[in-house]
Amino acid sequence: MIWQQLQSLAGSYPLALRGLGMTVMLSLISLVLGTALGFGLGILRTGGNRLISSVIGAWVDLIRGTPFLVQIFLIFFILPEFGIELDAFTAGIIALTNLAACFICEIVAAGIRSVPTGQVEAALASGLSRWQRMRQVVLPQAMRIVLPPLVGQYVLLIKDSSVVSAIGLTDLTRVGWLVVQRVPNGLLVFFLVGVGYFIVCYPLIMLARRLERRMGAAHGEVQL
Amino acid sequence: MTNPSPTKTGMIDFRGVNKWFGALNVLKDITLSVEPREVVVVCGPSGSGKSTLIRCINGLETIKDGDLIVDGQRLGDPATNMAQLRTEIGFVFQSFNLYPHKTALENVTLAPIHVRKIPRAEAEQAGRDLLAKVGLADKVNAYPSQLSGGQQQRVAIARCLGMRPKIMLFDEPTSALDPEMISEVLDVMVAVAEEGMTMMVVTHEMGFARKVAQRVVFMDAGAIVESGTPEEFFSAPKTDRSRAFLSKILRH
Amino acid sequence: MLENFSFRTIIEYLPLFGQGLITTVWLSALSFAGALAVGIVLAAMNLQRSQLFRIPAKAYIDAVRATPLLAQLYFLYFGLPRLGFVLPELVVGILALSLNSGAYIAEIIRAGILSIPRGQVEAGVASGMTYVQRMRLVILPQAFKVTIPPLLGQAIVLVKDSALLSLISVSELTRAGQLLASDRFMPAEGFITIAAFYLLLYYCLKGLAGLSSRWLGLQPARSST
Ligand SMILES: Nc1ncnc2c1ncn2[C@@H]1O[C@H](COP(=O)(O)OP(=O)(O)OP(=O)(O)O)[C@@H](O)[C@H]1O
Ligand SMILES: [Mg+2]
Repeated sequence: MIWQQLQSLAGSYPLALRGLGMTVMLSLISLVLGTALGFGLGILRTGGNRLISSVIGAWVDLIRGTPFLVQIFLIFFILPEFGIELDAFTAGIIALTNLAACFICEIVAAGIRSVPTGQVEAALASGLSRWQRMRQVVLPQAMRIVLPPLVGQYVLLIKDSSVVSAIGLTDLTRVGWLVVQRVPNGLLVFFLVGVGYFIVCYPLIMLARRLERRMGAAHGEVQL
Repeated sequence: MTNPSPTKTGMIDFRGVNKWFGALNVLKDITLSVEPREVVVVCGPSGSGKSTLIRCINGLETIKDGDLIVDGQRLGDPATNMAQLRTEIGFVFQSFNLYPHKTALENVTLAPIHVRKIPRAEAEQAGRDLLAKVGLADKVNAYPSQLSGGQQQRVAIARCLGMRPKIMLFDEPTSALDPEMISEVLDVMVAVAEEGMTMMVVTHEMGFARKVAQRVVFMDAGAIVESGTPEEFFSAPKTDRSRAFLSKILRH
Repeated sequence: MLENFSFRTIIEYLPLFGQGLITTVWLSALSFAGALAVGIVLAAMNLQRSQLFRIPAKAYIDAVRATPLLAQLYFLYFGLPRLGFVLPELVVGILALSLNSGAYIAEIIRAGILSIPRGQVEAGVASGMTYVQRMRLVILPQAFKVTIPPLLGQAIVLVKDSALLSLISVSELTRAGQLLASDRFMPAEGFITIAAFYLLLYYCLKGLAGLSSRWLGLQPARSST
């Protein structure tokens, strides 16, 4: 019985690989896009323009206050009503990128706010432009605060990518769901699915923990 | 009180300057002119507005009314390029504010490279020379966290000098330091003054004032109460408030 | 465009949404209680000196944190019957949410306890308290305070996570939206309405987190994931 199931599972090996590939692709693309967008939003959020800052704040709250599943449904089913035709993959990327950007925005904003005002004043006093102050003085110092939760956020993003299986994308979780219809051993199938995620996520969790421990060290002693 | 004729323009010229923080009038009708190469020491009790006064000069604070003219440019004037003007003004903070993620040399060369657009190699050579001048030739590659307070403040002074400013402002540069480190910083400041830098220094170091200042300005509750040469001020303070202040700091 | 957006249909389905909202609230509350229990046990195990307790607790926490809730939910949903437990979807859902959030709560509690300065422990030792007395009288009351805001943050996460139970056909709030989308082909009406309800819950919990940190004299709660 078990032997038969294992054989049958082995037959699903290519499907599983495709699912893992889909999960990694979804996560990677939205991780890159979300990070870029999140940093941009975080900088704007602390940039001193009240209107821009509160618009971003409201959007972030909207995204943080609703389940990701509902966001995916909204994007997948409602954007087409505005004449934007989406395939499931694009909808998934949009939803994940938006989610990542919102959380990263808040992480970056908190990092920027943690840099002492004296640092900005010193940069201001020597005539550095706005962008130079950000690039040379503020961001490098903010990174110490930003990096550990940023890596943690990547883990959340990879896990959240499983939710896009709900709109029919064949990612790792969806593969599990498909296989379990054929091989009725949910424990084994989803244990293996879990192992797949674990292999991707666990190293990142370890990295986040290490970064967190290093954060306390003074500049110059440890280079992040 | 000095009351320069309106036509005469100093390096730094306060004309009837007022500033408020909310309802608090922190600078009251300040009129003060600092000549090129002049060294002015500002003193007064805590909260009297000394920091605010010099922070206005490079626009870290903005003024409500009156005119403030620095190096011939009126602050708040749309024609004044503030970033450009700031490159002419060095500012030394009480808490150093060195960039913790950059070495001593990188602290000194950052603005010359990115603002003055000086080639890196040239800026680094100049930076090494400046660090040697403030006695830190061996700390070029040290991070701020590896330096003592006095050493950090000397790097901060070198960082300002790297921009070849016309004016240097100091906000209590030695009051965050352990007593044994104060003189190493004051020595550097004396050397800068003797090279003919225009300086405004908020400090209670009366030895420094006697040695290099042409003028001591005494502030209380946002106003300039008294102004004169160090000899006049220390030997014959004119007001009760300055006498009370002097007796307090001299007792230390 | 959404020119056909039908408020009438929303009103018509309001009882359904109301039912869903109520179900989401109580199943979240129940799951949170379960998660607290799981979290306390795991945290207690994790704080023992003996590896016999610590290793399983750590392994459990890491396994939960490194895998998606949806996979965990399916693991139980498709796996429990195999072990002979045929449970209603709702029970499986509450179980999954409790076991998942419990791992995060364990970390919150542990961090709270470790945040108490060593001096406090030593003061307890110096005045002759036993381990249990120190915990009960010195450590826990202080740790309790700092854990409240992050626990409320976890409650927010849990409420949002509960939306996944719609995928195993639990009739909670998201399921109500799906019904409107599939029965009447009105996804906009369905999903915008439930999004609004979730936001309502979010702002309630967020307000509570803000109030609690003010009452407890803490800094306002920072980013709750
Ligand atoms: N950003 C601010 N907002 C509101 N009030 C301020 C601000 N900065 C300074 N003040 C107030 O303005 C007054 C003058 O402050 P300032 O820092 O200029 O005094 P100071 O003479 O430098 O004092 P100290 O010797 O303590 O440095 C003080 O009453 C201070 O509380
Ligand atoms: Mg001051």
